[in-house]
Amino acid sequence: MQSNDSDDAIDPLRAEVRGWLDEHWDASARKPAHDFGIGWRRLVVDAGWAAPRWPEQWGGRGLSDDDALVVEEEFNRVGAPGCGQDRSHVSANTLLTFGTDTLKHEALFRLIAEEITTCLLYSEPGAGSDLAAVRTRADWNGEHWVIKGHKIWTSGARTAEYGLLLARTDWDRPKHKGLSFFFVPMKQPGIDIKPIHQITGDSHFNEVFLDDVVVPASNLLGELNEGWKVLLVGLAYERLIMGEGIGERKQGSSKDDHNRADLISMARDAGLLKDSVFRRDLAQVLAYRQLNELNVARAKMELGRDKSSPLMSMSKLAMSRILHEEARIMTKMLGAASLLDGEPHEAAADVNYRAANAYMTSIGGGTDQIQRNIIGEQVLGLPREQEADRHIPFRDSRSVTG
Amino acid sequence: MSEYLSEEERRAIRESFARLLAKHCTESDVRRLIATPEGYDRDLWRRMADMGVLGLLVDPTYGGSGAGAVELESLMEEAGAALLPGPLLSSGVLGSSLFSACTDDGVRLRLLPGLASGDTIASVALTGDSGTWRPDGVSVDAAPKGDAWLLTGCASFVTWACAADVLLVAARAPDGLGVFLVEDAQSLAGVTALQTHDPTLHLSRVVFKGVDAVRLPGLDESALEQAMNLARIALAGEQAGAARRVLDGTVEYIRTRVQFGRPVGGFQAIKHMAADLLLEVESATSVARQAASAFDEGDADSNELISLAAFACADAFVQTASSAIQMHGGIGFTWDHWAHLYWRRARADAQLFGGADFYRDRYLAAKESRNAK
Repeated sequence: MQSNDSDDAIDPLRAEVRGWLDEHWDASARKPAHDFGIGWRRLVVDAGWAAPRWPEQWGGRGLSDDDALVVEEEFNRVGAPGCGQDRSHVSANTLLTFGTDTLKHEALFRLIAEEITTCLLYSEPGAGSDLAAVRTRADWNGEHWVIKGHKIWTSGARTAEYGLLLARTDWDRPKHKGLSFFFVPMKQPGIDIKPIHQITGDSHFNEVFLDDVVVPASNLLGELNEGWKVLLVGLAYERLIMGEGIGERKQGSSKDDHNRADLISMARDAGLLKDSVFRRDLAQVLAYRQLNELNVARAKMELGRDKSSPLMSMSKLAMSRILHEEARIMTKMLGAASLLDGEPHEAAADVNYRAANAYMTSIGGGTDQIQRNIIGEQVLGLPREQEADRHIPFRDSRSVTG
Repeated sequence: MSEYLSEEERRAIRESFARLLAKHCTESDVRRLIATPEGYDRDLWRRMADMGVLGLLVDPTYGGSGAGAVELESLMEEAGAALLPGPLLSSGVLGSSLFSACTDDGVRLRLLPGLASGDTIASVALTGDSGTWRPDGVSVDAAPKGDAWLLTGCASFVTWACAADVLLVAARAPDGLGVFLVEDAQSLAGVTALQTHDPTLHLSRVVFKGVDAVRLPGLDESALEQAMNLARIALAGEQAGAARRVLDGTVEYIRTRVQFGRPVGGFQAIKHMAADLLLEVESATSVARQAASAFDEGDADSNELISLAAFACADAFVQTASSAIQMHGGIGFTWDHWAHLYWRRARADAQLFGGADFYRDRYLAAKESRNAK
């Protein structure tokens, strides 16, 4: 296999991106070449590089996937941020696909310039794995939508400009068919945000209480009662990103990814590297992680070829096992010291944190059990789960009647 | 990867091999062959030779394709899926790579063309009764006798010795391990066929009581290790391919088998088993292929990946084949169902060349030494 890079003339698009970056980006200092008076990401948006696959009307360039990857390559080459939002920005892509022009003018450019953020108002105390059972209601009062309900597992709620909300707009239709999808302005009265105290001791997530929260008509995404479809498109984007992050949820990834345990050194320090039973156990735990990396690498290669690989949907399930198993073997190495915790006992605190935080991956973003359903049904083509309330009016579901 | 084959040629040979097996190595073919003393199909063997499968690893100078581990792994996935019985691993992998590594061109010229054309079948005796497939498991001694050598001792778990024209024997010489050639293996006394758990695999025990042999120059412990690495990669490919075929067949069954008024694959107890197996099968495929490519590229982590492939693919195939019987229920417990044929192969493959725990240890050792660097 040979590279065409050196032999052939470089294609005009690549030349254009390079030219623009040369003029605007200082690759050695990894910062903008001058003070342009606006933020770097806004500059990238205005130039049409933030989301080059998008139509020109919405700040894109209408490029094919292959051409857009050329743009991303050039940005990556010089370490310039801000590109690839058409692939990775979940709420912006959802807005582009389903939003009204009014709402797009209001929010789209600010989103891809990362001047504002969003949060997800999907799960509820009564709608976890069974997300379509949400009971937060949206009622039309003649002027605007009025939202009332209780959402949970929302990260970034306090800083978000908009909340992406799944709410019930018709209680007489079956559960999936009476839902609508809204962009809720978060900076308004009636929204009460309460942090959740997690088993790790952290508070990444919040509960969000919505009491007569007002949403303009133009903030409805997609058709009325077609909110489930909007949600699925958003989830598809999210899954793509989770796959790239080796299957870990964005919210939990920083701690686990950048702080990967060196299990071999730890075993050596614990004097366990000569114990043959322990060695087998350790080898298996290391194997889980390496096998997943090989799967992700192969998935990317296959994605490059035909755009679909069943491997992506599996890496989250694999990551659950990796994180739980690593925490288990680290606890084993620590032994009685794992009884301790807190700042004076750094190693124990780290291991105990990992043991608790592993559940973020095995429960968050769909439990392992839900992932197995998804793999079984969507990859292997097995019959879908039966739902007692799938075809009846939602108001008669036990989710409502108790 | 081969410098002789383009990517299209690689894909084409895999596809024609798959078609050949779909036609001549069906379940009923396998069952028919199990019942014969030979145990493999000579016509199919000839066709595989014509297709370039037998000479895959043999240099074009000697009538082969000059391919590498990547192509080998790819074809072995198909062989495993079809449960192909026969001396492919013995002759086409171990035999070919040992003869190719021999520094005597006369030996190469005399033997490699036959291996590639299928006229000569080689079997390789690598371990004694301990069945460790490690240098310390070799229990044949070689003593010089003029220009030749005399072999005494015993080798066991010798794959397809019954079909072999020539036997290669790892034996302990005064200066260390060497590989010795016994020609006219068919008239060799002391070969006993062993009854096997996997009826598609033929094994023998060979007792040497002063057998004349020729020492193959250039074949020391490290050459043996290289040949073993190719065999490990081939076996990993076979396991990955077979596991995938078993999962496909099982998914097909649980999609259509109705109990309690619906397909059993709709029950989470079954569906979740299938999802877990898919993860194992995909992991096995990824690591078998990556180990092959690392071997061809001579990557620093190739030993680590080969060991990882050895235990991950063995475990994946055993888990898939065992679960397949369980997921089929009663029908899977019958001799006439295909599930146990794969299960037997899985259990056999998991022992061949050393068990999973041996490779776990070896994998960790490779990681330790890379960390230390």
